[in-house]
Amino acid sequence: MNAFGADDETQDLPLEIGCGRFPADALELAALARHEREIEIDPELETHLVLCNRCAAAVDKFDEDNAFLGEIAEVASKLRPVSQPDTDDGSPIRGYQLGKELHRGGQGAVYEAEQVATRRACAVKMLLGGRFASEKQHVRFEREVEVVAHLRHPGIVTLYESGLTRSGEPWFAMELVEGERFDEFVRRGALRPRALVELFRQVAEAVAYAHRRGIIHRDLKPGNILVDRDGVPRILDFGLARISEPSQMGEADGKADGKTDGKSDAGGEATMAGEFLGTFAYAAPEQLAGDPAGIDSRCDLYALGVVLYECLVGRRPFEGAKSIAELVVQKTMSDPPRPRTIEPSVDSDLEVISLRLLAADPARRYDTADALVEDLTRYLDGRPILARDDSLAYVVRKTLRRHWIPASAAAVLAITVFASGISLYFAYRNAERERIRSERTLTSFQKALGSANPETGGGSSAMGINDFLGLVEQQVSMELRDEPYQLAGVLRTLGLVHLGFDDAELARAAIEEAHRVQSGGFEEGKISAEQFAETEHALARLRYYLKDLRGAEESYRAALALRERALGETSVETIETLRQLATTLRAQQRLDEAQIALEEAVRRCELLPETPESEVLRVGLLHGRATLTLARGEVQNAVLQYREALEALVRMVPADDWRVGRTRYNLARVQLRVGDLDAALVNAEESERVLRLKKGADAAMTKEAASLLETIRTMRDRRGQRTIDEVVEDPASGAGEAGDSEQGAARPINGGA
Amino acid sequence: MDLDRTTTALLTGLFDPRNAAAWEAFDCRYRPILVGFARNCGLKDDAAAEIAQETIVRFVEEYREGKYDRSRGRLGAWLVTIARYRIIDQQRRRGVAKVERGESAMVNLDDENSVSAAYEVERRRAVLREAIEELTTKSKTDPKTVRAFEMLVYHGLPPARVAEELGMSTHDVYLAKSRVAAKLRDIVQRLEQEYEESPGDWEAGGRPSARLEE
Repeated sequence: MNAFGADDETQDLPLEIGCGRFPADALELAALARHEREIEIDPELETHLVLCNRCAAAVDKFDEDNAFLGEIAEVASKLRPVSQPDTDDGSPIRGYQLGKELHRGGQGAVYEAEQVATRRACAVKMLLGGRFASEKQHVRFEREVEVVAHLRHPGIVTLYESGLTRSGEPWFAMELVEGERFDEFVRRGALRPRALVELFRQVAEAVAYAHRRGIIHRDLKPGNILVDRDGVPRILDFGLARISEPSQMGEADGKADGKTDGKSDAGGEATMAGEFLGTFAYAAPEQLAGDPAGIDSRCDLYALGVVLYECLVGRRPFEGAKSIAELVVQKTMSDPPRPRTIEPSVDSDLEVISLRLLAADPARRYDTADALVEDLTRYLDGRPILARDDSLAYVVRKTLRRHWIPASAAAVLAITVFASGISLYFAYRNAERERIRSERTLTSFQKALGSANPETGGGSSAMGINDFLGLVEQQVSMELRDEPYQLAGVLRTLGLVHLGFDDAELARAAIEEAHRVQSGGFEEGKISAEQFAETEHALARLRYYLKDLRGAEESYRAALALRERALGETSVETIETLRQLATTLRAQQRLDEAQIALEEAVRRCELLPETPESEVLRVGLLHGRATLTLARGEVQNAVLQYREALEALVRMVPADDWRVGRTRYNLARVQLRVGDLDAALVNAEESERVLRLKKGADAAMTKEAASLLETIRTMRDRRGQRTIDEVVEDPASGAGEAGDSEQGAARPINGGA
Repeated sequence: MDLDRTTTALLTGLFDPRNAAAWEAFDCRYRPILVGFARNCGLKDDAAAEIAQETIVRFVEEYREGKYDRSRGRLGAWLVTIARYRIIDQQRRRGVAKVERGESAMVNLDDENSVSAAYEVERRRAVLREAIEELTTKSKTDPKTVRAFEMLVYHGLPPARVAEELGMSTHDVYLAKSRVAAKLRDIVQRLEQEYEESPGDWEAGGRPSARLEE
């Protein structure tokens, strides 16, 4: 049975929307999210949409329908008057019986009310002057309220529903909370610092919850936080400030008090100007600056900072401003007085936390409300807080102390990253918010990050590298938040480091994101072909690693074209891409094409002057040639070529370089194949040792080497009893051989017999 | 497709002055488009209605005199040329030196692309309008499904609310939306064929302007 009549002409249409794992409204939201940056969709759904064709098709369908139906709705609205369903119960709001007025302010009134159908007590807020200029705005309003209505948290007052009154004003129905304003509760109870922090942490947790769902409050203040009878702080009006702002509704009437306020503001703020200041005392400077693009969830952190500050010292951080303009100047040009200068008993950690929240520059605040919660928890647990010193130096030092095994390589790495990070930081400071275009600085920074890669630098798996990378990513995201394309470049480098450690998932997330951002930037001419080629090359490496050989080929070809254009045919980078392209072709068993690409790379390489880089490249080409020879089944030749590659390699890099391990592994395989067990054993043992050291025991490549070593030992023990080929599969087919690409652990796909 | 309703059928019928049905059908279809077009050109309602009336009468006259040859241009292009000429003429008669271009005038009468786009907007609206009418009056779609669709799309109510009002599940509301959208698409597609004019047709064929503005 379905809800559609038997005569329905549409009954032959499918009854399912997507695969059924996610409800229709989630899919519709995903369709809307394509056009509304502010709508965030569940990451789980996002992943699912990549994998499930049915749901992806459903989202496409919604998107397509919405465009068509927008056209239909526009025509329909002119066809006949669009009216709300009739209300005949005498109440201005259908389905609700309004009771006494709880509060009245410039924007509207809050009433006690009862939902007639459920007899549920609630509060109804009616916004005055919030009429919608068009149906479209009305739809948008309803949608936004719907998003907010999905918030379910003990610290957030639940929104039930919304609509328009008969005369067209928007209203919301929400949970009725009887309680006391946050600041009054704190003042009346003369809370000790711990109790205050405990209460404040609950507020921060609720804020963090909403932020994780992409919803910003934008108007946090003590009047919007009520402490209920159980002592639980409850936040009112989450996400509604934006919805109810006249400018958002296309009714820019010039009034700046488009904020909702659930309960009365503090006394003495009755005048218009006073009301302004009452609301704006909690507004972040970037909100006051009036640039909507500059506002993100960190404006709520600022507001929380004002609330905390006020609770600590009994006054607001900036007082005495006579006008909004004066307040803006105060907030952006000066630091608030340190709480301990006003109230010496204030705990120094709490002082640091409040000042961090009140930083004029959002980048100097906590990154997320979660980070604030973390610090408040640390305070309550008696652990050192993280905000004490927000400089990179402090965080790096602290992290080194906590997680790192003191190793000389790690120390070198730390100093490099630290130094380049700091110089970058100062470069930014000195530029006074101007865009930094010093690619040299950024490149050196990227190189520093890359030095954590065991394949190209001094990293090793014993270092707690994920802690380090996480830290780097966090720092860099902060430093480069205004430079999305440069940030993408750093992300790419981080992704390659993850790839070096066989962490495909993290590598993929970082590199694909970097590629996504930079391809946009490249199209718009914001980044150079050289920069973008770097990312394209990285994407190709990732795809090769993930065995998407076609995709890898496509990206290598794209990177090659870009590099040829930007750097010329005979640059180390261009030839390296060509070499990798050859590897990718070889892995697809397109041996003739691979041969052509490789020979071309060799030819170009001969034109290069002798530098360490060109030598490394030359060795890589020798290795590639050996692997191709092996793929052609010329095992004896492959032995010679791998040996040649190994000899060239050990002249250039330390004996425990991972590439030495890889080459020895491949050499051991072919030596085993031709029956040279003694030589194979030496190389396999050394290979296993180096790879375990550099890649870690769990790396796919190390396991391969260990397994090879095991096989060779078994073979030696049984020597003379069986023929070699009965035990070892045919290496000429490519199975079990380490690829000669940089990613190493990726093995070419077995193309069959 | 209803063959009697195609533009070709209507035009054939118009040849016969006694064929009131053809006249009425033609008038029904093109008058609202022309009124809308004239409004887009910045005319007030009464002036726009006057232009539409003049244009239709003039067109039928010319058509019966054999001046309009479909192979030389789309009907819409022909109508627009007449209407545009009429508008300019009306402005001149009323002593307006240049066609008024206040905020309401979306169309630059000197720019052919702008003029044809304004007509196309109205034509598309007429198709959608007819489709909406047909959905509610003629189609066999379940009334509750249609009601859910209307509440959702015309009134902009959230799906959950529609579901509650009509006593169905949210999922069924989404299905209703998707089904009615599909149905409407079918109707629109058929009507587009009946109207036989797609935006791409504007550049095809000759235009009658030279003869009209002599």
